Amino acid sequence: MNAADLQALRIPLIVLLAALLAGAAAIYFTDRMTVAARQQLVQQQNQLKEARTRLQKSGEEKDVIVRFLDGFRQLERSGFVGEEQRINWLDALRLANQQADLFGVDYQIATQKRFQYAAELNPGQITLNQSVMRLRFRLLHEEDLVRFLNALARQGGGIFNVDLCLLRRIDTGGVIRYQPNVTADCELSWITAKVGAGAEQKKP
Amino acid sequence: MADKLLIGVSTQGAIVAFWHGRRIVECQTFADDAGGRAGFKQHLAQFSNVPVHIMVDAVEEDYRFETLPHATGGDRADMVGRKLKQHYRNTPYMAASFLGRESGKRRDDRFLFAALTNPELIGDWLQEIVARELPVAGIHLLPTVSEALPDKLDVKATNLLLVAQHPNGLRLTFFRDRQFRLSRLTRGDSGRAENRVRYFAEEISNTRLYLHALRTMTLDEQLAVVLIDRGDELAEVATGVTRENPSLACERLGRKDLAARLGFAESLLDASPYVIYLHLLGLKEPQTNLAPANVTVGYRRYQARRSIYAGCGVLAAAAAVWTGVNFYQMMMLRGEAEDAARQASQLAAQYSEITRQFPQAPASAENLKKTVEIAQKLRDSLHTPQRMMTLVSRALEANPAVVIREFGWKYGATEIEAEGAGKRAAGAQPPGAPPPAETPSAQRRESALIEGEIRPFRGDFRSAIVAINGFAGRLSKEPEVAEARVVKLPLDVDPSLSLSGNTLDNPEQASGSAHFKLLVVLKPAT
Repeated sequence: MNAADLQALRIPLIVLLAALLAGAAAIYFTDRMTVAARQQLVQQQNQLKEARTRLQKSGEEKDVIVRFLDGFRQLERSGFVGEEQRINWLDALRLANQQADLFGVDYQIATQKRFQYAAELNPGQITLNQSVMRLRFRLLHEEDLVRFLNALARQGGGIFNVDLCLLRRIDTGGVIRYQPNVTADCELSWITAKVGAGAEQKKP
Repeated sequence: MADKLLIGVSTQGAIVAFWHGRRIVECQTFADDAGGRAGFKQHLAQFSNVPVHIMVDAVEEDYRFETLPHATGGDRADMVGRKLKQHYRNTPYMAASFLGRESGKRRDDRFLFAALTNPELIGDWLQEIVARELPVAGIHLLPTVSEALPDKLDVKATNLLLVAQHPNGLRLTFFRDRQFRLSRLTRGDSGRAENRVRYFAEEISNTRLYLHALRTMTLDEQLAVVLIDRGDELAEVATGVTRENPSLACERLGRKDLAARLGFAESLLDASPYVIYLHLLGLKEPQTNLAPANVTVGYRRYQARRSIYAGCGVLAAAAAVWTGVNFYQMMMLRGEAEDAARQASQLAAQYSEITRQFPQAPASAENLKKTVEIAQKLRDSLHTPQRMMTLVSRALEANPAVVIREFGWKYGATEIEAEGAGKRAAGAQPPGAPPPAETPSAQRRESALIEGEIRPFRGDFRSAIVAINGFAGRLSKEPEVAEARVVKLPLDVDPSLSLSGNTLDNPEQASGSAHFKLLVVLKPAT
């Protein structure tokens, strides 16, 4: 085929090229549309499966709600669920101090952060936060520390972890009387839960 | 089938037939003079991009049957080309067609060489066609076109002589086993009816003698003569020929027979005797094409164009089918997706109806359960220093000389920091490795840093160290203890450090002290 032949076949070759491009484009786009439709179908089928499972498990779900609702309400009241109830903590601190016969407790609460060990509890849609409370108090005896912490836990002002405690003996010069002998510095993490307002969540 | 222009050329002029829909739809003749050529040119002007097939009826034709050594491909083409040049030096219109192989041992190739020996006969006509830029598909001799005639006319004789009256003479074409072998065009005049019988009989006899001379056929062999009588005027001739030569089987095919067997309108035969051959040419192009490559270049381009357009058509059809299949699939998938969505919506409505009967809850069942479970886990996992203090107390009972001054406790992924001991993550940590950061993923465990001293201390470091190590050893024996390590002794005997003191100090009034630090790590609670 020479240049003259190519010149003579220029228009048919352009038409061929156009047909090729148009055909390829049509196939490509319809193929993409088919793929998108297939993905949409898979998505809809998954949603259908979920809806079916949810319906099948609705009886079970009702049982779960009945079983755990009271416990959940109690946790709401105690301040574990929802916003931090720092007043509850301070009240609990005051009462624990009285019950453990301490000489007063200095406290300092830091800003709220994500609970760093949340992954251990596999919380799912629930967000766990912590606020570190630093305590400084004096003890008559080392055992008062444990009594104080147990008393604090019993107050129901929330849920906390004890992260750190440092006890130091106070030099009393050998005088024996009712006075602090030990200082304690402790760090507690008050933990709260925020339950996600997901699609499944029901309004009270 | 595509449209064609079928042009018959003779010394008398040209006939142009327009082929459309597998038949000739229009036919026009032009005389071989200036007026005829002008009319021809004017007639061609109405056609564009229509391929032209030319047929020539002339005395100046030549046929040779030859055998060549068997060859294929380029070798055969070269050999045939050389042979053509050798035979026909003065004309570009020549061709060879392969007829088959010889039956002998060598099995040579049999060829028919044909040529139009007077190229000027078609020169002017061809010039007009080329000037109009109509693609010339081929140039053929009338006898090669008529090779399809015995089949079309359904004549089954072994030796067949077709005889037809043409404007430029009597055309006699011989076929053996339906294969073209010889043709001649006489220049005689058969105009007068009284001489016609004799004229035909003589020419048939001459042809027989000629065939005999060429050893193509002996005089004893039976010969079937078929008279092509388009004007129904040769009945007398057929009778006369049979009468004069009883060894001949003479058959006449009149207008009706011809039209019926060839499959066209009877009226078409009035236009020209060449209509029969042009019709055959329209149906099928003979193998022997005399047109040289420079004449058929336009046709080759025409064919290439058509092939490309056909390719475009196939491509478009394939794309349309593919696209259609995709569309169909897409519609089906969308339909299924809509069905699934509808069902999901119905199930969601049913679920919603059921959940109306549920107790009012601030969160989903799953979250309610999980929240309560997390709270319980947190309560259950509350660690206080109590366990560590109990262990230390037990060890102190066995080591009364040890006095605790400071007690640090930590529950975390890393150990409590001790001066000189570094901070270590709970779990395996090689000595000397840099202290790791607090990593939530590591398992938490309890650790304690105990600062104490030995009392009473009278400067006897050896005894003090023994007591400290005894205290640490007692702790490490506890099953809950993972590690009890002295991180600071009262006397640092490290050779890299300097050491000073006074051995004359009164042991009873010793002012020094035997301080130590001990790191205790508990095993993770199970």
